[in-house]
Amino acid sequence: MPDTLKVDTRVTVETPEGVDFQFMIAGPGKRGMSFIVDIMLKLGIIAACLLILSMMSALSFQVSGVGGGIFLVTWFAMSWLYGSCFEAFWNGQTPGKKYQNLRVVRTNGTPIGWFEAFGRNLLIVADGMLVLGPLALNTVGLLSMASTRRMQRLGDLVFDTMVIDEAREFISRAAGITHGVERLRRSECNGQFHVPERTLAVVERLFEGDRLISDGRREEIARTLSLALRSRLDFVEPGPDPLNPNTYFVQTPLKHTTFLKRVLKTFSDSPNGRAAQTEDDGDDASLEIIDETLHSMNVSDSGPESPADAGPAESAEGATLVTGADWQQPASGDGSTS
Amino acid sequence: MNRERFIRQRRADWQQLETLLTGMKNRRLSRWSGSDVTRLSGLYRSVCYDLSLVQSREWGARLEQYLNDLVAQGHNCLYRSPPRSIDTALKFLSHGFPQLLRKRKNFFFVSLALFAVPFLIAMIIATNDPVVAEQIIDKTQMEQAGESYSKDLYKDIDANYAEERTFMTGFYVWNNVGIAFRCFALGAFFGAGTVVTLLFNGIMLGAVCGYIINQGFSDNFFSFAISHGSFELTAIVISGAAGLLLGWGMIHPGELSRRESLRVHGIDAIKLASGAGAMLVIAALIEGYFSPMALPHSVKYVVGTMMWGLVFVYLVQGGRNASGTETTADGHRHEVSTAHSAEDSE
Repeated sequence: MPDTLKVDTRVTVETPEGVDFQFMIAGPGKRGMSFIVDIMLKLGIIAACLLILSMMSALSFQVSGVGGGIFLVTWFAMSWLYGSCFEAFWNGQTPGKKYQNLRVVRTNGTPIGWFEAFGRNLLIVADGMLVLGPLALNTVGLLSMASTRRMQRLGDLVFDTMVIDEAREFISRAAGITHGVERLRRSECNGQFHVPERTLAVVERLFEGDRLISDGRREEIARTLSLALRSRLDFVEPGPDPLNPNTYFVQTPLKHTTFLKRVLKTFSDSPNGRAAQTEDDGDDASLEIIDETLHSMNVSDSGPESPADAGPAESAEGATLVTGADWQQPASGDGSTS
Repeated sequence: MNRERFIRQRRADWQQLETLLTGMKNRRLSRWSGSDVTRLSGLYRSVCYDLSLVQSREWGARLEQYLNDLVAQGHNCLYRSPPRSIDTALKFLSHGFPQLLRKRKNFFFVSLALFAVPFLIAMIIATNDPVVAEQIIDKTQMEQAGESYSKDLYKDIDANYAEERTFMTGFYVWNNVGIAFRCFALGAFFGAGTVVTLLFNGIMLGAVCGYIINQGFSDNFFSFAISHGSFELTAIVISGAAGLLLGWGMIHPGELSRRESLRVHGIDAIKLASGAGAMLVIAALIEGYFSPMALPHSVKYVVGTMMWGLVFVYLVQGGRNASGTETTADGHRHEVSTAHSAEDSE
């Protein structure tokens, strides 16, 4: 795996426990955004300092020289110490980075120390050099980021740090799958608006890139699950768009695939990720092979309650949704429950 | 074990780790209880194992992603840089910094040459021929400088003095420390920026100096400059040395890879630069409050000479009297920690 060409922005780090895990590297966009936020904050603090001091000197004449001194020291601190102090004390984050969910870490994944924080912030001077004229701000840093795998600017290279994106992206893989589809809207479904984790896992595995299934076959497989889910959610398929009816017929051949993508997108996005999902039901059905799974699966309803009360009550409640009747349903699949 | 059973068995632990992590991340290190840490490390290791299991069996990207995230958070919670306090900062200034400077003394001397030689040349030229000096520096600026040293600066210490001098102290911090940091940072261009900064500052200061001598204000000027000059000029040269060290790490990695070399030299360089910054803050305080005081010139010369002696002793002897073994041990530890920062962070 380390030898394959990677086109995404992940960096694998090996822990002392011998496990590899991945960090997402932050690109120039997010870093630029946090840079701007930090600059605004610095300017704000300097302006506030100036305001307070001028108010004080208006009250009493004496402090103007002292006030000037304090102002210059504040300016100095903002321009040289702001980033380093925050990164040293806030475990690699400045307010701007916190806002963008970024963090500075060493390239081995460990948090940075004082000297690294200080050094990489001093080297902003070198990274911010103008090479091609006044418009080319931060040219050196951008060139350096473009040419290193971890998107490091000079300051990062020298002090062996990188900026990682800490945004909770449990769905980052699902986002690849569900790109370009909308979430299900609450108004489209008349039934309960909930899909168990196990079902989502099956849907996810159906779309996993390494399973080489043709679109047609996937649609065939998806149909089974899709119909069951449709009746469970009581999903009402919207009719052709009167303004642009052609798209309806273009999409119809992959209708069930699209629907499953939408389901995945809707229900896998919960902010707490997988942990917020419900526990599995007691069924020990093997899910090793997706076709088997889909044909034998019970899309059962287990509430988000504790495992204790998930036993007998659930099996009574859980209905087997994949029935012959479902197969006969009209393609539009409007609200009949099984 | 099949996937479903695995998830069902392990999920409780994952959730436990998750709640533990969110609780501990928002708490200070000193507030962590022993049992929490034990629980955390145990859970973390088991989740590490889970992750490698899921990775090897390819049990779904979302599960892997979730566990990956848990491990990443736990890793960041458990592996930290060693805690630092005011105490370590003071220890660094009193011991580590002079030790490091002595270890890298070649860079100091090169930096000194780059600063002092143009300084002396410019000073000699400007002393003999102020017209040349005027070509180097703007004439009005030059005259202002001359004028400010033509008379005694202050007669008494009064409110006006305190006020003006506080402003100037702020200015010195802002200006001089800024110059030193810039001088260091520009070393990232293979040392070229540092060389230019050193030469430029040497020539400018030398020219001003020579002009003032030529105008006959040398006594006023040198009695003013000698006290803080000790810290200030030395610190500028040290920050130059830091920049050169950084550039050297890029140009000449030696037996290390260029990446490794950058890291080793970079850490040393930033340490030198922060020491220089601290020295410049001291210099700014002296320059702000002591140098312009209305004292006889002889007193200022005596104090100024003592300051130079102090700087010299500090840099030559600092950290040396704490027993030779400790010095080498510390130096060795430093080598190791820069080479394997993973160990350093444990």
